[in-house]
Amino acid sequence: MDLQKFEDFPVGRVIDCGTYRVTKDEILEFARQFDPQPHHLDDEAGKKTMLGGLSASGWHVCAIAMRLFAEGVVLNADNKGGAGAREARWMKPVRPNDLLRMEAHVVEAKPSQSKPFGFVTFECRIFNEREQVAMVSMTPIIGRRA
Amino acid sequence: MSGGWFEDIEIGSHRVLGSHTFTQDEIIAFAKKYDPQVFHVDPEAAKHSMFGGIIASGWHTAAMWMRLAIESRKTSGGGGLARAGVSPGFEDMRWLKPVRPGMTLTYSTEVIQKVELKSRPEFGLVKSRNEGRDEDGELCFSFIGKGFVPKRPKGETS
Repeated sequence: MDLQKFEDFPVGRVIDCGTYRVTKDEILEFARQFDPQPHHLDDEAGKKTMLGGLSASGWHVCAIAMRLFAEGVVLNADNKGGAGAREARWMKPVRPNDLLRMEAHVVEAKPSQSKPFGFVTFECRIFNEREQVAMVSMTPIIGRRA
Repeated sequence: MSGGWFEDIEIGSHRVLGSHTFTQDEIIAFAKKYDPQVFHVDPEAAKHSMFGGIIASGWHTAAMWMRLAIESRKTSGGGGLARAGVSPGFEDMRWLKPVRPGMTLTYSTEVIQKVELKSRPEFGLVKSRNEGRDEDGELCFSFIGKGFVPKRPKGETS
């Protein structure tokens, strides 16, 4: 399959990036390595916080968003790396066994003035079976058609 | 723990969180799970990419900031964001310079804004500017963090 180019990502396009099952083991493993706060490691400790129970680190949610974004968008595109992430919103706790699903919405497509690529900003909306739990924006640099 | 309430946090207070040296093995391990682009997972293919070699996922760089922030919190007593726990998100994350195997990033945080919350009167929101710099002091990574910090309960004096 030909790689998708900058022109293939007009504002308004929505890409279904598939699903990801979050296990308790993975929540604990990520938290031990990067975010060892009690509410990411322990059910009882989590209940005492505003999260109301054990929940995944927000950084873990971002990492999962990246995985889904890689499979749904950048591995199929003429991607030249990412310049940053404009915003992330951790809206609801992500719990053990949640099945996450992600939609990537193109909200801005800005061609470089001098280089043969453009910056495409996606608003990645992440849902569990009940509601939207997070939003992570991603801005990959994608090559233009010759 | 004394202090560390929302009221105790001073705008402008700056803290070095610590340093981390990124190894090729950990860069690849993280990326295989969460960011499987060739320039993060395949040293040979990465040589032919625009980066000329393996670089860390930006999300790996960010997650390491969190780890050092937690470690630093344990040793900082009541100062800084010692009571912070839950965050509603972040803004303006920038990956400015590729992080390559063997590079050491030194991370820091500085309080830039305190916001009263009508919806959660027992908490305040603290915004911080966070950075990761390489051995030459060059900025590689930055973002604006947000954290809910509890207010001092009535009757507490410290």
